Amino acid sequence: MDTLETAVDRVLSGDHSAFQQIVDATSQRLVRLGARIVGNQADAEDVVQEAYVKAYKALTSGDFERRSSTNTWLYRIVVNGAIDARRSRTRRAEASDEQFDPGWDGAALAEARVALSELDEWLESLPTDQRAALVLQSMEGLNNTEIAQVMGVSEGAVEQRLVRARATLRHRREQS
Amino acid sequence: MTDHEDIDQRLSRLSRATEGLRASAGFSSRVMLAISAEAMPSFFQTTWLSARRLLPAAAIAAALAVGWAVQVDGTVDDELANSYAALELE
Repeated sequence: MDTLETAVDRVLSGDHSAFQQIVDATSQRLVRLGARIVGNQADAEDVVQEAYVKAYKALTSGDFERRSSTNTWLYRIVVNGAIDARRSRTRRAEASDEQFDPGWDGAALAEARVALSELDEWLESLPTDQRAALVLQSMEGLNNTEIAQVMGVSEGAVEQRLVRARATLRHRREQS
Repeated sequence: MTDHEDIDQRLSRLSRATEGLRASAGFSSRVMLAISAEAMPSFFQTTWLSARRLLPAAAIAAALAVGWAVQVDGTVDDELANSYAALELE
């Protein structure tokens, strides 16, 4: 059993301080995943922080049923939070008609900042669920079964989202 | 995107380029602070939980008080009846 599952066992058995190990083992990967979906690091950190609070509550209240691996479970919470954050951000931007300020902080490397900005702009036209599926497949390396588990949909729905996302990107490229 | 770069190549390049993204300094501490704040019960929750713990004892005390009041009431009635009877005899 790996460190993450051991830490989860400890939290489940009442050692709540072991949650720090879960955060330490997963935060970098989850913030990166959140940033790739939301499009900026500051919002991604908010999403991941909220995800950890939800995870902690689920673990300490007995709501965690362990139907999937801890990694998949955390991915699911973060992806759902990131999709919600992105949708509400889009609504806010439409309502105020203002350009979103990515709010960079010093933690992101210069190259990563530029790349994330390029990624955000490129995938901007995709519906958020298609964007999330594409990120999970092409950047996080998940297969369709894993993406279906993370997004809580069928593999067919995942396939459909990926096909549509690629078609949209291809269409945009042909137009430009 | 360059002229010859297709969708998968671009995704792959951007994936490599964003590998360097890291949580900002102190992120882990902020998360644990947020969790502590969530785990700390509010004043209402504390009061309600304490009150709930005392509920059985309060119910027993109330039942005993009612029993005692009924008993005392009966004793008082007897005493009053005796005193009226004594007055009438006088």
